[in-house]
Amino acid sequence: MKMIRLLLVVWCTFTLFAVVGASGQTMKPVDKCLSCHTDIGSDEATAYMTDIHYKAGVTCADCHGGDPTVEDQDAAMNPKKGYVGVPKPSSIPEMCGKCHGSEKSTFKTAYHLDDVMDEFLASVHGRALSQSSKGPTCISCHGIHNILDINSVKSPVYPTNVTKTCAKCHSDPDYMKKFNPGLPVDQYEKYLTSVHGKLNKAGDPKPATCVSCHSNHLIRSVKDPRSPVYPMNIPRTCAKCHSDKSYMAQYNIPTNQYADYKQSVHGIALLQNSDLSAPACNSCHGNHGAVPPGASSVASVCGTCHQANSDLFDKSVHRAAFAKSNLPGCVVCHSNHLVRQPSDTMIGFGPESVCGKCHKDVPTDSAASSILAIQATLDSLTVGRTDAESLLGHAEQLGMDVSDASYSLKDVNQSLVESRVQVHSFNASLVKSAAEPGLKIVGNAQVSALGEIKEYYFRREGLGVATLIITALAVLLFLKIKQIERRSEK
Amino acid sequence: MDKTSKVFRWIDKRYDLGIVEHFAKEKRVPQFKGSFWYYFGGVSLFLFIVQVVTGILLLMYYQPGAQSAYESVRFIVTKVQFGWLIRSIHSWSANLMILSVVIHMFSVYFTKAFRTPRELTWYSGFILLALTLTFGFSGYLLPWNTLSYFATKVGTEIVGVVPIIGKPIMELLRNGSDVTTATLTRFFGLHVAVLPALFTVILGAHLLFIQVQGISEPESWKDLPESKKKHIPFFPNFVLRDILLWLIVLNVLAILAVFFPWELGHKADPFASAPMGIKPEWYFLFMFQSLKFFPAKLAMIDGEVFGISLFGIAGLLWFLVPLWDSKTSKGKRNKIINYVGIGVVLYIIILTVIGAR
Repeated sequence: MKMIRLLLVVWCTFTLFAVVGASGQTMKPVDKCLSCHTDIGSDEATAYMTDIHYKAGVTCADCHGGDPTVEDQDAAMNPKKGYVGVPKPSSIPEMCGKCHGSEKSTFKTAYHLDDVMDEFLASVHGRALSQSSKGPTCISCHGIHNILDINSVKSPVYPTNVTKTCAKCHSDPDYMKKFNPGLPVDQYEKYLTSVHGKLNKAGDPKPATCVSCHSNHLIRSVKDPRSPVYPMNIPRTCAKCHSDKSYMAQYNIPTNQYADYKQSVHGIALLQNSDLSAPACNSCHGNHGAVPPGASSVASVCGTCHQANSDLFDKSVHRAAFAKSNLPGCVVCHSNHLVRQPSDTMIGFGPESVCGKCHKDVPTDSAASSILAIQATLDSLTVGRTDAESLLGHAEQLGMDVSDASYSLKDVNQSLVESRVQVHSFNASLVKSAAEPGLKIVGNAQVSALGEIKEYYFRREGLGVATLIITALAVLLFLKIKQIERRSEK
Repeated sequence: MDKTSKVFRWIDKRYDLGIVEHFAKEKRVPQFKGSFWYYFGGVSLFLFIVQVVTGILLLMYYQPGAQSAYESVRFIVTKVQFGWLIRSIHSWSANLMILSVVIHMFSVYFTKAFRTPRELTWYSGFILLALTLTFGFSGYLLPWNTLSYFATKVGTEIVGVVPIIGKPIMELLRNGSDVTTATLTRFFGLHVAVLPALFTVILGAHLLFIQVQGISEPESWKDLPESKKKHIPFFPNFVLRDILLWLIVLNVLAILAVFFPWELGHKADPFASAPMGIKPEWYFLFMFQSLKFFPAKLAMIDGEVFGISLFGIAGLLWFLVPLWDSKTSKGKRNKIINYVGIGVVLYIIILTVIGAR
């Protein structure tokens, strides 16, 4: 029996050594800091017992310095032994960075820790900390002595808690004024009204939180082209979740928005032409308060940029008709994410027309005549301009100066743009009024081109007559010279 | 008595036209194989008259100034009745005049008509050629278009390269350190006042020398007896032949002006960079192309300075040909003169062709 007990003790001892060895740790002596501070009832010491670092074997001295092996307070908290006490805010990232930084350490290897210190220092928060000791540090988000695993539902950085954690500072105007007075402080309030916020509040950790879009440690300014929320990066940032079929499966919404958007006139302008004024997802859906615009508010949303079109639509017959049928305004003709470059072929009853979706080219459809009249006006302007350009080009090829008329054609574009905008009034006479100045310019340019072509032929005919007269004179003169020379020879 | 005779008698009574009548009856022009070349003097004169007439017509609408020069020329060619024709004839005539003067100069050179006693006719003719080129250079800037602006800039820059006197001359030409509206008004003044006045005086002297000394006979006639020398009366035979050629040139001018109207181009923008491959007018092209072939440094001297100095010396030697043609006074044949002349003609043609490509 004794033999069995002895073998059991030996086996347990080896097992213990093996477990400790595998985790890369060495047996540490008793942490006198923790034992003393627990004895005197320190809240920090008590809290630390629940901290993820405590569980991993990180001692008080690993952060605060000093000698944890001695009981004597003066000896243990001797600055000569590296005791720093409560670290200054500016030195906290460096302190955490001993394990969470770029330098290799036993802990870093054992726990596969990322280099978050350098990311933090490069972020807007790191810059704020370098400017003021009141700036955010690691502990602002993660806590101090009770830091929990980020996957713990109680962790302040767990998805359902992180927005509240960010709001501690970002909803405090007095605090934010010290760093960025221009930054709004209503993001959290807006977030709670968003689809993301509502689901998050209901306990769903999947919808986007602050860090989903802004990143966590490496948060950059929205004006920084490297930021995931820089206008040109927003569609891709949203698409991380919204284009992921399996991730979005439970929400029962499409996942083709990004693919459509990339092909749209807006997507091409923003992503291909780098036009920062072009709308990204947040321009229509909102950013922190993101929601899909309802059918009744689509025209207002589009109208933030396309104001003239929106105003005309509001006064048109379609406004009430669409509302009655709960049709989403602009989207009915232009689509939502896949907004194509509009063209005149959208008007009328052709294969690409959008009017034909609801109307028919029959006498019983009262709108048909208006549709055809609008189409005719736009066609007369575009075709007239093409004809004028062709005539002017011909005159120019003949060597005539038509620069004034060619220059005047530039104003046709303005008239054409105004006419196309007036299409949203769905009133043929208004479209014609807008096209009238352009039609006049086109007419004048055509007259001018024809005049120059006529002048060209007139010049040649004139030259022909002048050449004939001069040649006749030359021949007569030649004969006269011959006559004189013959006489003088005689 | 017909009406013409009546008018002649009426004037003769008052102003004694006997000298003119005598001159017209007695003046004779040698008639030989190469006498065709004599007509280029008359053609040059005709083109000068065309220049004066069309220039005066253009002057009625042209407004010098950076904000008005281009616009006024545009107005002339687009709005003024026959303005396009006048401007086009003026530009074409200017180029044909330069060509005609150059041909005239070489014909005089090869027929040795510069020899004693016609040295002053040669010198005055050379000055007329220089003035014609200056006419071309100054007139080229007046429409104030991109090509003319940068050609003037490059042209005056080349003058500025000449050591010591180059920069002051360049600033005098430009009326400042750069080509500006001040340069335009200076060139305008030169083109419409200074040059015409100078040209008219020297042309008058040039024609006077010819009338006083008569038209030069070919060298081959020196040993011929008078009976073998063929002449035609200056009036009316030679004058009528001249007029016949003038009519042909007028026809050519009209055809060129209508079929190849002189382009106006784009308005000059002093802040824009010079267009790629900018070249001077064809008559300066051989010099421009030659300067390109000179190395950057030639025995411590800047290549461009060396080239310009070389052209200066060559021009001076050409001007002074009656002095260094050592056999002139002895009336001997001098083949070197011919070789030099042929060399110069070939050089100009080849370099111009290379430059134009």
